[in-house]
Amino acid sequence: MSESTFFLLALIFYALAAAFYFAYLYSKKESRAGTGFVIALIGLFFHTLALVLRTVESGHAPFTNMYESLSFLAWASILAFIIIEAKFKVRRPGAYLLLIVIALMALASSPFMPREATPLVPALQSYWLWLHVSVTLLGEAFFAIAFITSIMYLAADAKEKKGKVPRSGLTAEKLDSISYRTIAIGFPLFTLGGLVFGMVWAYKAWGTYWSWDPKEVWSLITWFVFALYLHTRIVMGWKGRRSAAIAVIGFLAALFTYFGVNYLLAGLHSYA
Amino acid sequence: MKALLDFFTSVRVAITLLIILICASIIGTLIPQGRSAQEYLVRYGQFSALLQRLQFTQLYHSFWFIALLALFALNIVICTLVRLSPKSRRAFKPKIETEPKNILSLKIKDKFRLGLTPAEAREKIKKELSRRHYRLKEAAAERRHFFAGRKRVLGWFGSDVVHLGLLVILAGGIVSGLAGLRKDLTFVENQTLPIPGANFSARLDKFITEYYPDGSVKDWKSLLTIIEADKPLFQKTIEVNHPLNHRGYVFYQSGYGWDWEHPSLEIWVKKKDDPGYLKKVWLKVGEKTALEGEDLELKVLQFIPDFVLDEKNQPATRSLEPKNPAAFVEGWQGEEEIFSGWVFAKFPDFSRLHAAKETNISPELKDVQAPNYSVIQMARDPGVPLIWIGSALLMAGLFLAFYWPTRELRIVLEEARGKTEIVAGGIGAKDREAFQIEFENIMNSLRKLK
Repeated sequence: MSESTFFLLALIFYALAAAFYFAYLYSKKESRAGTGFVIALIGLFFHTLALVLRTVESGHAPFTNMYESLSFLAWASILAFIIIEAKFKVRRPGAYLLLIVIALMALASSPFMPREATPLVPALQSYWLWLHVSVTLLGEAFFAIAFITSIMYLAADAKEKKGKVPRSGLTAEKLDSISYRTIAIGFPLFTLGGLVFGMVWAYKAWGTYWSWDPKEVWSLITWFVFALYLHTRIVMGWKGRRSAAIAVIGFLAALFTYFGVNYLLAGLHSYA
Repeated sequence: MKALLDFFTSVRVAITLLIILICASIIGTLIPQGRSAQEYLVRYGQFSALLQRLQFTQLYHSFWFIALLALFALNIVICTLVRLSPKSRRAFKPKIETEPKNILSLKIKDKFRLGLTPAEAREKIKKELSRRHYRLKEAAAERRHFFAGRKRVLGWFGSDVVHLGLLVILAGGIVSGLAGLRKDLTFVENQTLPIPGANFSARLDKFITEYYPDGSVKDWKSLLTIIEADKPLFQKTIEVNHPLNHRGYVFYQSGYGWDWEHPSLEIWVKKKDDPGYLKKVWLKVGEKTALEGEDLELKVLQFIPDFVLDEKNQPATRSLEPKNPAAFVEGWQGEEEIFSGWVFAKFPDFSRLHAAKETNISPELKDVQAPNYSVIQMARDPGVPLIWIGSALLMAGLFLAFYWPTRELRIVLEEARGKTEIVAGGIGAKDREAFQIEFENIMNSLRKLK
């Protein structure tokens, strides 16, 4: 079977998993989420096969164009979701995360995304491609989860203000804490992959560790926004809505760094 | 002075600076940086002068942006130092909490009674906590005993290490900006160039471009020899991602090209009425060359590597790559020009010669060769080691702060009619939920002590 078959299989399993998670959201039957979780794991297995095949066929890391990097971001998001679900024992964010993953994979397979594997341009021929991109995207996957839990927080907070108590037991306060702890996992990863590995590679490939290229600046902006989140929270004691708002802005900045910069701003990072 | 210090110790100031830095950085990505005044005039019209006066067009190197960074650095230094000494006291000379009421006001807490004498309980609790890697401090009072346990104390200093790392990175940036040297060196093969500011030179021995089967570039490789005191020292092939280091200088493969001022052109001359006739000649631009056995001299007047007609319908080149090589060829008989016109290597049938006189000669452009040059960027950047040290500190600090959270236990043992009453509390600001679980486990095993 080919890479695209496995990719499609993964997408189907993720969609099925999402269906079970939503059935859980509306029926409150925990076992449905459990089934969904297992199905998502099977999806991840096929997705991993697709990425491995892609690597073998193209002979390089599977994130050198938009199709590949979207697919890898989806894969990293599932991985992050498994870690978060196992660590924090929360089921509900999984439903929304699966929707984002499905959207990413649908976008990856859309005709707008160049799909064919092309040979690597000289600047990308380095093992830093693996380190820089994979760690950065994994960090961003945690930001995506924090984005979801922050929005869930805002919704739960609005409900609780009206006096409604969530039957699932997932209170606004708990969501707030999960957002923080998810960012606490993602932030060091994003710093390592995006900024530090990025600087090392830039130094090896371009001869300068920092050149104020728009993608560099935007990852710095993303980093600043999450630094703001952490300082307002840890030092100034902000919680709740203001924290959630910063987490949402931070994820949007990360998204713009990843996606928007390529299409809207010209620069050195013209690959993907 | 006090007011100034207060200003810089304020976290609000740090937050404000962070927000200003975010906004400034965004502006810098929206306005293209470092372009010509003309381009800005076209793009922004009457606002272009204002943007340039505010240094928005050189934003990241502008006085005000660097001043912002300096303020930010000062703020980091002061905030970190001010918080360091109370933190160290808490880490290394912890005050032992002796008031059970204070412990019971903590978020993580427990209270129970053990069927052991205080002396027995003390020894067993000590053993249990050491097994869980808590470092203990003890104090005693009448009928009471106090424990202060801590683990992963280094985690507390994570944020300080992060801040130190950032300062070292900023210092590295300053050193790079002041002492960094960067220059493009353009070599043709066998050319030796002195390295500015250094007592050695470099020679390009060979330059090759490797292609993929689909024609796209796979790699550029330059074989360089470093020459010191007129003696070749060593030879190394540099390519993209594989620079050469020598005496603090780093050499990068950064570009390539052809010297189109001095191309050699292979022209095949055919005759329209004689299919068997073929003469091959190599020509240089501007030189008249006689064609053997014919009363004809050929001359190439102009060469264009990537032919295109510009908006004024004049021949121009679209790029510096030989994508559509074209030569303007003239045929002369003595002082008389008999034909002239453009011939195209990729489109031999497209040639349109203007013939002044009846002629059966038909020239074709077959091959083009031009000296290759390799652009090698030379950089000497003494700031770089600081950047790596700063990055290592930054990462170590982040992992300490977030993946190695400090946990504190406070326990009071009180004798109550031969048995022991225990009041315990825990503080773990960075990971309260995870600590809660560990705390409950500890309390469960303490309850089972016999």
